[in-house]
Amino acid sequence: MIRLAGLGVIVLAGGILVTVGAETGHIPADQMAKAARSDSISIPTPGELFTALEKSGKINWAGQYRGPIPVTYSNRAQIALNLGGLIADGFIAVEAKDGQQVKNIGSDIIKLAKALGVSEKLLGRGSSINEFAENNEWDTLQEELEATQNEVKSSMQSHADQDLVILVTLGGWVRGTQVVTSAIVQNYNEQSAKVIRQPALVHFMQSKINEISPELRNEPLVKDVSEELGKIEKLVSFPEGKVPDVEQVRKVNQAVGKLMEEIESKEAPK
Amino acid sequence: MNRNLLISLSVFVLALSGIARGDTDAEVQARKDALDLAAAFSNDGFKVRDGYWCGVVKSHDHSLVAVNLYAGNQYWFSAGTTEPAKKIAVSVYDETGKQVTTDSYENGERAAAGFAPSGSGQYFVSVDLVEGEQSSFCLVYSYK
Repeated sequence: MIRLAGLGVIVLAGGILVTVGAETGHIPADQMAKAARSDSISIPTPGELFTALEKSGKINWAGQYRGPIPVTYSNRAQIALNLGGLIADGFIAVEAKDGQQVKNIGSDIIKLAKALGVSEKLLGRGSSINEFAENNEWDTLQEELEATQNEVKSSMQSHADQDLVILVTLGGWVRGTQVVTSAIVQNYNEQSAKVIRQPALVHFMQSKINEISPELRNEPLVKDVSEELGKIEKLVSFPEGKVPDVEQVRKVNQAVGKLMEEIESKEAPK
Repeated sequence: MNRNLLISLSVFVLALSGIARGDTDAEVQARKDALDLAAAFSNDGFKVRDGYWCGVVKSHDHSLVAVNLYAGNQYWFSAGTTEPAKKIAVSVYDETGKQVTTDSYENGERAAAGFAPSGSGQYFVSVDLVEGEQSSFCLVYSYK
């Protein structure tokens, strides 16, 4: 149960705080199937994933950095996927409290976003990221990265590029999962391994990819990503209450690592 | 920059962005109320997720939103609505449809439910109209 001490009493004044028991209700499967789902609330950010991982112990975030990726892709789907991956890298640098790395990644994010022709307002985000990084404002930086990601997606939607939005989200999830599984394999414990179980999340992203235009869906990279995602869904589908062992986590890491390699490869598959 | 000032600014900017997207006035107000409530949890270290869901709450019905949560994190789901809805409630169900135990906050047009999942996976947040008539609602969530 969450401790409520320290909440804003002014805002909460007059309300009723209670603990609601679990025995009071049940919703049928057909209603769950019809529940609203959206990118903006049903898919967690990399920051949420990293926050959960940190609960099980200190993580060597700087040890999870990767080398610089090209920012000169010409394929729009590949740019979108890598943009998501870079935003996840930004979250990693924030967790590592590494201002210079945040600034470097922020600069690459802006370059890739500009290649997609998204809003000029993003240039302002780049300046904010630099300013917050120089002032070591880590919580604010995390919020700024989330806002940047949302602004990229919002700009894509207004430019009739809505099909690319799910690719940005997916790129972020793949990179985030690669980092988290790598950290768990390096220092396995059951509490941290629990974060790997996300079958509905992967299934939802797969369903969103199935909704994009046939032209984009049939691009070789997107096709490969979709196929690999189907395999990854099986790897993260553990029964409720079952904690994956280190070998199962390693398999997920290998699968997302292979996918990330393909996403960041300079030459997208023909 | 002062963190509280930033949170206030974020609430303002997020409300404005709703206007820019063509959300109805009721949705914008509901979203502002939800964010105001979520901001209170920020004092306890919760980060407000920069995302939201707006919908409609009806009498004798509940609106369900699917979310994917991580074991280890703590969450607060905050909802706001506007007249003619008078009172709403927020509850959470696991992937089997069973209601989970939550800390709940209810204050007329604003309500929240908080809990820490023991397992990662899909959960369903339900926003129920307890009193009043059909209206727009908005849901945001915070985590730490």
